[in-house]
Amino acid sequence: MNLSEAGESRVRGYLFMLESSLRTFLRRDVAADAVREVESHIRERVRETEPMPNERDALNQLLEALGPPHRLARAYSAEMAVDEAVSSGRLGATARALVALALNTARGFAVGLAFLIGYLAAAALLIVAAMKPVFPDNVGLRWMNGEFRGAGWELSIPPGMVVTHGWWVMAISGALGAITLWLTHRAARRYLRLVSERRQLRPGPQSL
Amino acid sequence: MLTGFPMTVPADSWTEQLRRGGLELAILLAVAPGTRYGLEIIRHLQEATDLVVGEGTIYPILGRLTRDGLLQAEWQASAAHPRKYYRLTDAGTRRLRVMVQDWRMFASKIDRLVQAAAQEGGK
Repeated sequence: MNLSEAGESRVRGYLFMLESSLRTFLRRDVAADAVREVESHIRERVRETEPMPNERDALNQLLEALGPPHRLARAYSAEMAVDEAVSSGRLGATARALVALALNTARGFAVGLAFLIGYLAAAALLIVAAMKPVFPDNVGLRWMNGEFRGAGWELSIPPGMVVTHGWWVMAISGALGAITLWLTHRAARRYLRLVSERRQLRPGPQSL
Repeated sequence: MLTGFPMTVPADSWTEQLRRGGLELAILLAVAPGTRYGLEIIRHLQEATDLVVGEGTIYPILGRLTRDGLLQAEWQASAAHPRKYYRLTDAGTRRLRVMVQDWRMFASKIDRLVQAAAQEGGK
């Protein structure tokens, strides 16, 4: 069967949606390779399909056999994102794996949320530390009329407010941020390794 | 006939779990004789079994098995369009041997249980 312009557009749309979904948790080159393989599958199925009066129905049938792009992407995420994170240990890969798990299971969502809070807290502390050299007068302990008002980075300091111990706050924020990031990332990697090991004990696709 | 057992998992879900468990072994067996590409593996499994429910199921597993070092993948340009061919690696061959052995042992143990239950039920 040769595809019409509309049929070609439908196939391109399917592949575009698949690639968009895959890129949220897989490396660009891994996602592109997966899409290329699925495209090869579709092209061969189309080629071997007898010409039908209703091309749309034939194409629908063919794509339904593969499954909707978001479900196919979810199956990839369940199979590959965790393994990539465990083997590489990179922050980006770990984040992608946590997102993939959060989208797949209730437990994954809860654990992902906890790790997200950990990473955000670490990022906030590191940002405070990084802001001190940029805004030297805006980072530190904030006092108003001798009363303590808070600590950290304040973009605009109101008149009468005094900021003290800026370099101490920078040092402590930096150290706490680094420790929080290290602990969160270590816990996330340990969790993903556990997920990976459990899956190896229970082989097979997680979805579809 | 086995009756009276508490059903904690619906029968279709149990079948699904069984199918999932068998699919990885089936894929490795499909490429054991030589190189095959994705659609060829699907066709082979569809001819011999009912393990492939969704055709898309196969590709993520092939990706994981390749990442795990059990399969080696290679793109080959064919006349119509490129195809990604898979073949077993040495580690894959060893893993397959263990899996087949485990599968046979498991199946024979369950068979023995089924026969024992049938014999006791017939008394």
